[in-house]
Amino acid sequence: MNTVIIVNLNGNAFHIEESGHVSLRAYLDGAGAQLRDNPDKGEIMADLEQAIADKCAHHLRPHKNVLTAAEIDGVIKEMGPVQSDGDDTRPAADVPPRPSHAGGGSTAPRRLYQIREGAMLSGVCTGIAAYLNVDVTVIRIAFVVLALLTGGLWIIAYLVMMLVIPFAHTDEERAAATGAPFNAQEVIDRAKKHYSQFKNDREWRQHWRQQRREWRRRWHEGAYWWGHNLQRNVQQFSVHTSYFSQVFAGLMIPLFALLSIVMFGLFIAALVTLTTTGAIFGVSLAASMPLWVAAMLLCLVYGLIASPLHHVRRAIYMQRGGYHQAWFAAWDGLFSVGLIAVIGWFAYTHVPQVHAFSQHFPENIQTMWNNVVESFHHAVAAKPHEIT
Amino acid sequence: MEPEQKFVTIRKGLLEFLILKIISADKVYVADMMKLLAETDFATQEGTLYPLLSKMRREQLVDYEWRESDSGPPRKYYKLTAKGRSQLAEFKNYWEYLTTTIDKLGR
Repeated sequence: MNTVIIVNLNGNAFHIEESGHVSLRAYLDGAGAQLRDNPDKGEIMADLEQAIADKCAHHLRPHKNVLTAAEIDGVIKEMGPVQSDGDDTRPAADVPPRPSHAGGGSTAPRRLYQIREGAMLSGVCTGIAAYLNVDVTVIRIAFVVLALLTGGLWIIAYLVMMLVIPFAHTDEERAAATGAPFNAQEVIDRAKKHYSQFKNDREWRQHWRQQRREWRRRWHEGAYWWGHNLQRNVQQFSVHTSYFSQVFAGLMIPLFALLSIVMFGLFIAALVTLTTTGAIFGVSLAASMPLWVAAMLLCLVYGLIASPLHHVRRAIYMQRGGYHQAWFAAWDGLFSVGLIAVIGWFAYTHVPQVHAFSQHFPENIQTMWNNVVESFHHAVAAKPHEIT
Repeated sequence: MEPEQKFVTIRKGLLEFLILKIISADKVYVADMMKLLAETDFATQEGTLYPLLSKMRREQLVDYEWRESDSGPPRKYYKLTAKGRSQLAEFKNYWEYLTTTIDKLGR
């Protein structure tokens, strides 16, 4: 148990362990002595305190509101010795050549934040893009595709992410989000964009309102058009169905059903091996890819493959089935169920892993889920205390 | 004196001009300057940078303005003054002169 002291750093209150407080006091006193004859002493001290406050905030979490002595030592080391303006003999570059300040070193773990700069809605995509170090457009397209494939369920997932993932407020956090320092152009672009966005806030809101009205209108029109066309197409096809195409449909249905089920089985097996062993069928993940990202990618890939298959199956009996649509649907359903039963039984009796897994089914599911959640928690930095 | 120590002295003298050059592109915040420098041999720390910037401001090479940030206190964004800009231009010329001189002398 350590005594905690509350300090005021340029207007921000921090709880610091007593021994940490001693070293911080010594550092600031030393800085004050160095700047003794400096006409801007007060201002420089305020700047230094603010920089320390930013670094300290980086170490805080909702359930960790005290800075340890070791953390304070780390912050002081990042700050570096204070030298009065250049007349002293300490060389300016007398620090480790690549200091890991701002959490930007390659060893610093990346954290998942929402990044407001360059965000379209909330910054979830920009944050994930920074976290995975890919272009934000890729993430946006992936999100749209996911939203379409999951029939809108992904939008709920997005909303949850919006609420759960903290925002990167300080430069420390922004650096932690990307895991690497920005390059010159990005820094400059960011500063510019930030400023113009701030100026155009009112215009932007008005624009957004108009945009929403437009979207609503198009949605209604589109829905009508879609429904109307679908109906017409089905009628058209039912007129043209021949005996041959019906037989063809009857044969194709089992084939596609088999394909879908095999895909589904592979997907489940991959998901289970991934979440229990951290590798997909023995192929381990790249070290930089966290488990939860891999699991989401797996779901995405499965969705990309399975969804067209599903639509082809439906299309076969919707279009070729003609008046016998219902029979084809029933045939498809029965065949699928039968196939699942046969494959499931086969796996249960002949594949020992499946047998073992099913013996402790609830516990295993729990473990899988916990592994994913844990990797996610690892990535999501809990929101640091607001500096007041 | 080891070569590395001699380089340290050279770098020390150049830091001020590098900062002028960084600021010449756009108004920048101290953390941004440090990120840019961190990738180079000129990596530096707040303890060095703040006193140096205040000296440069006293010499009227740079100036700053306060800007609101998303959260937390407003920040200082530094920009070049006319004097800073002319000094940077002088430095660039001198640097070119130095490198050509070095190239020309000896082998």
